Amino acid sequence: MSNPYEAIPATILKTFDETPNIRTFVLKPEQEIPFFAGQFVELTVPGFGEAPFTPSSSHFKRDTFEMTIMKVGRATGALFDLKPGDVVGARGPFGTPYPLDKFQGKDIYIVGGGVGLAPLRALFLALTHEIDKYQRIFLRYGARTPNDLVYKHLLPEWEKLPNVDVDLSVDVSDEKWMKKVGVVTCLMDDIPCDEKTSIAVVCGPPIMMKFVNQRLLDAGFQDENIYLSMETNMSCGVGQCRHCRLGPYLTCKDGPVLTWAQIKDIENPFV
Amino acid sequence: MHSLNTLVLAEAQRDQWLLKLLEKHLVYIPVLYEDRVHWRRLDPADLGPEASTLTPALRRIRASEPVKSFMFNPRQQVGAFPDKLEHAETKTRVLLGVKNCDLVPLRVHDKILADGEFKDPFYAAQRKNTILVAADCPVPEESCFCNLLGLTPYAREGADAVLSVGDDGYLFEVGERGQELVSVAPELFQEVSESDARVTKRNTERESAVAALNRINPQPWSPDLSAAVAAKRKDDSFWQKHSEKCVECFGCLMGCPTCYCFLLYDQAKEKSLDRTRVWDACYLAAYARVGGGANPRAEFVKRFANRFICKFSDFKSDHGMYACSGCGRCFKACMGKIDIRKVLAEL
Repeated sequence: MSNPYEAIPATILKTFDETPNIRTFVLKPEQEIPFFAGQFVELTVPGFGEAPFTPSSSHFKRDTFEMTIMKVGRATGALFDLKPGDVVGARGPFGTPYPLDKFQGKDIYIVGGGVGLAPLRALFLALTHEIDKYQRIFLRYGARTPNDLVYKHLLPEWEKLPNVDVDLSVDVSDEKWMKKVGVVTCLMDDIPCDEKTSIAVVCGPPIMMKFVNQRLLDAGFQDENIYLSMETNMSCGVGQCRHCRLGPYLTCKDGPVLTWAQIKDIENPFV
Repeated sequence: MHSLNTLVLAEAQRDQWLLKLLEKHLVYIPVLYEDRVHWRRLDPADLGPEASTLTPALRRIRASEPVKSFMFNPRQQVGAFPDKLEHAETKTRVLLGVKNCDLVPLRVHDKILADGEFKDPFYAAQRKNTILVAADCPVPEESCFCNLLGLTPYAREGADAVLSVGDDGYLFEVGERGQELVSVAPELFQEVSESDARVTKRNTERESAVAALNRINPQPWSPDLSAAVAAKRKDDSFWQKHSEKCVECFGCLMGCPTCYCFLLYDQAKEKSLDRTRVWDACYLAAYARVGGGANPRAEFVKRFANRFICKFSDFKSDHGMYACSGCGRCFKACMGKIDIRKVLAEL
């Protein structure tokens, strides 16, 4: 019987600093981890513990994968001390991917906040890889300051892609910032897609998710078409330990992406 | 359990049989210690004419330790990194005298650890490696309430054999796997028919145990307990009232035969790490707290409610059974004397 708790070695090939406290790690696992966008991987930092992260690279290329991680606690703190060539543990993929078949032929409206763009990037790359299958892709992304934006070098390239519309905002601008200033909902005054059929996908800090979700509902998006990345404490990752229970769901198994239709009756889901 | 036959073992031949059993298996029995029942591993020195008298407490209620501990160990190394964990085979264990309120909870653990997409290989191996001999519970105590959960004080399924203690021997109903126990010394067992006086006496004793439970707990709970608990999900004042005396010692959760929450944690060694699965408790403040510090159940009243919601609403809707068997360990352990029966009776 296979052991779902045991990690396989994954070597850090490269790291890239996105912001002062957000770093992208390029990892080469000993065996391919067959993830799809939206699924997550439990990363072991030897000696410091384990935490779940969603790959931020495309599931069309899996010999290596990327994770964009913010330094917040013990495990991530130790991870930031590691260098290319160091080995971490990985187990997964776990969770339920974005149902891309349901997205086909529709406008996809993606809203990210801060490091929340990391898991959305895996989705964005999967969508743009097969761009003909979808109508248009809108990306709305906000961060605290221009310096806090992740993928700064990639965003200009994404803006040039056909059928892709990117708009950015920062809460606090600097003298070079030419785009909108305000929280990310300031990019949502005019949502240029059909609210009855379009898909919205949101990931960011809880408070941002709460307001973006409300804005989407006000605009007329359907409950079942709003996909939200839910943050809960996870330990096992495989639907057993119950730490990540959210209402009737286990986010490690049924999520981490759940629709508003699924979670709207849960008391205070955005904690 | 599908009983293949009913057998009798004479009291005088008990030790002879146990000695034979010990040649092949590890055997654990409930024994009395300071008026409480505890599991003890049987040693050949405990048996035979020269041994000091050992009295298995087979007629008493469940032991203090939940039987889940044998398969879902309080601490279990489940991984190593970068090395892989070696999996050692162990001798088969016989648990002699499991009460129904410990047997039914194993179904909870089966559903979580063995029946899903991902299986816990350590639980599965120990579960497979354990022969379960249930024992009737003829003398329920004030803390027992299996009847309120629709359970009986004797096993109906899930055991490999079921025994009851008679005046001068033991009556066994033996299922397929239970034959292994008989086969170590078949000459000691005598087959009896369903009309045998000893079977009739056992059946009468079972009926009186059920009657005793109905006297201890005469008032049934709400017929749809799951819905009743779910309806109180957000009613903090209800849970506040019942949790006032809780000192957050987690004794109720650590003694619970159904609680299955665990935490994986890593212990660093010189150049590697060991991953250990330890029991966890949803009453712990950090249980649901996320990396950034946010906590959906920061207030204790939410964590208190969560225990009831998990056992009587969530588990019922997910798996079709309550994650409670009425063993009474939770309030026997409780320093604040919070009786789960009284909380649920108010729903």
